[in-house]
Amino acid sequence: MRAVIRRHLLVITAVLLSHLAGCAAPPPADDPEAVADFNETNDPLEPTNRAMYAFNNGLDTAILRPAAQAYRFAVPGAVREGVHNVLTNLGTPVQLGNDMLQGKPRRAGDTTMRFFINTTVGVLGFFDVAKDWGYPDHDTDFGITLALWGLPEGPFLFLPVFGPSDPRDASGLAVGAVMDPFTWVGQGLAVRALDWSRFGMNGLDQRERHLDDIESTKRTALDPYATFRSLYRQHRQGRIDDARNDNRATIPVWFPQSVRPDTVTYSPSASRSH
Amino acid sequence: MPNRRDFLVLTAASLLPAAARAQSGDGRASAFVKGIGDRLVAVVNGPEPDRDKRAKLTVIIDGAVDVDGVARFCLGRFWRNASAEQQQRYTELFHKVLVTNITAKLGEYRGVRFTMGRAQQREENAVVSTVVERPNNPPTNVDWIISNPAGDPKIIDVVAEGTSLRLTQRQDYASYLSRNNNSIDALINAMRQQVGQAG
Repeated sequence: MRAVIRRHLLVITAVLLSHLAGCAAPPPADDPEAVADFNETNDPLEPTNRAMYAFNNGLDTAILRPAAQAYRFAVPGAVREGVHNVLTNLGTPVQLGNDMLQGKPRRAGDTTMRFFINTTVGVLGFFDVAKDWGYPDHDTDFGITLALWGLPEGPFLFLPVFGPSDPRDASGLAVGAVMDPFTWVGQGLAVRALDWSRFGMNGLDQRERHLDDIESTKRTALDPYATFRSLYRQHRQGRIDDARNDNRATIPVWFPQSVRPDTVTYSPSASRSH
Repeated sequence: MPNRRDFLVLTAASLLPAAARAQSGDGRASAFVKGIGDRLVAVVNGPEPDRDKRAKLTVIIDGAVDVDGVARFCLGRFWRNASAEQQQRYTELFHKVLVTNITAKLGEYRGVRFTMGRAQQREENAVVSTVVERPNNPPTNVDWIISNPAGDPKIIDVVAEGTSLRLTQRQDYASYLSRNNNSIDALINAMRQQVGQAG
């Protein structure tokens, strides 16, 4: 896994360096609307990013997509769901760290309860029992933490292998790997093999879950790269807003509830703006 | 202090109809989305061939979606630069592209079902939340943005997991245009090809 981190860092440096290689030419200054569009798109590395997109697309067509299709074909849905749950459960330590860094006690509580319930009753995370017991899962990572700390997202980046990103999320990716206890547990070939299998399974799981979406986006978009760029940013903003707006009170259910207007029930998609 | 109480009562009384109106607008928006959703699910999961489904979808979409408004939104700043004739050709094609894109997803949506969430007012629109579930895919939070909820409700946007359909479409078109000398004719040709390919 340390090798994985080193790779992450290498990749990020490479992409930042490639800044020098390919920059999008800004439109002429006498066309204010075009300039506004250019700034809103905020993709100064577009030529490089497009090259990375093409590279990832080739990789996907050759390896990841067929693998995901085979996985969907060969493994029953319930088992895939279980595998997904195990992977999610392995991610709870990092998730908990981020919940706490974001100052979201209820989310941290959910994550902790999920870990204990699902690891035991849920048989090492295979069954998501906690969800039915009132501890729903939520998406979070260090990129979201940085966003809540006020760091701007920066220009768009398309990373090889990892796909759409931005400097904030790319840093989050690297810090996330450092935060993961599994990065630091044990050493030797077996541990490294397990780390890599988890990394690979995560990729396969995510790709299988988005087989249909990615397929139809590619089919319907006139410019798939621009469409994925837009989708990625909107989706991230949605997750950030979810975290920001999750201000549930920390009073236990059995305790007399005081009425505070800012602590009403939390509903993920409710307060999202676009 | 009777005066103050009267004042309070009066204020409350004058606010109530507004609140009730908003409430009924949300309720109507919910009922509207539920009705459209039920009709869409019935067509998608129905037994008839795709050609017939396409015809039925066209009727539902043209009735429920403010397609002209969405089309204008998606062209963004280029709408004003377009000639009246280009605007008309573009809008006509946009109707077809929308139906084609939805028809193309018929296969992956077979077996779809949805559950209604809450409705709320956002500016002059109503936002109705639903959860859409389809086989092989994780459940998706989908918000329906309804304009004019109390009068003649129309869908003006669909927001899936925080991603707005019309905003994504607008950025797709904007990027295509900027890579094709901002030529609206080029966009129209590309759209025509899209519709043609799907038959």
